[in-house]
Amino acid sequence: MKKIHTAYLLAAVGLGLLAIGVYFIKTGDDLQGLLAALPYLSVGLGCVIFGHGMGEIVLQHASSRAPEAAKDLEIEKKDERNIAIANRAKAKAYDMMIFLISALLFAVAIMGIDLMLLLLFAFTYFFVIMYTTYYRYKFYKEM
Amino acid sequence: MNNRLEEIRKKHGIKQEELARALEVSRQTIGSLENGRYNPSILLAFKIARYFELNIEEIFIYEEEEKE
Repeated sequence: MKKIHTAYLLAAVGLGLLAIGVYFIKTGDDLQGLLAALPYLSVGLGCVIFGHGMGEIVLQHASSRAPEAAKDLEIEKKDERNIAIANRAKAKAYDMMIFLISALLFAVAIMGIDLMLLLLFAFTYFFVIMYTTYYRYKFYKEM
Repeated sequence: MNNRLEEIRKKHGIKQEELARALEVSRQTIGSLENGRYNPSILLAFKIARYFELNIEEIFIYEEEEKE
């Protein structure tokens, strides 16, 4: 029951953000720089939050009308083989991502692009590696 | 690891769907277990053993791989 209330709240917040964004796009002609992008950001965020909320509302209503199908869906979601498959696929994608980002980093470095952009790429790569190291250490302690 | 899941399930006259529902896993998981394509977690192995009122070793057979 709490889940559906949160979903309604999310949908309302999303709709509100969408309306505010559209209002400022229509009226705010003299906005400069970052402020000019804010209404569009608000519309984008509003759409995402509204979509997520509505999706959850529809799912909750469908689940209450067809509890058997909802139970099957829950089983599929929690099924250990499905989880193992998803985790293996994610691990493969991670390996590929690490390879691709390093190749991209090397390529943009020899292309002589803007240093800030290069540092942004390098920091992203470094962050991903550190994130992996942190969780490896955390799980090592836990298990 | 080999198992006798299909043989035991058929002996009990249970369909894959029914077993999957009772164990709260997907039917595909039961199929993969029976084909030997997937080895269950220790928790699922216990659940299966309890469901059939057997010991784990009576269902799952561990065979040590021969070293070359």
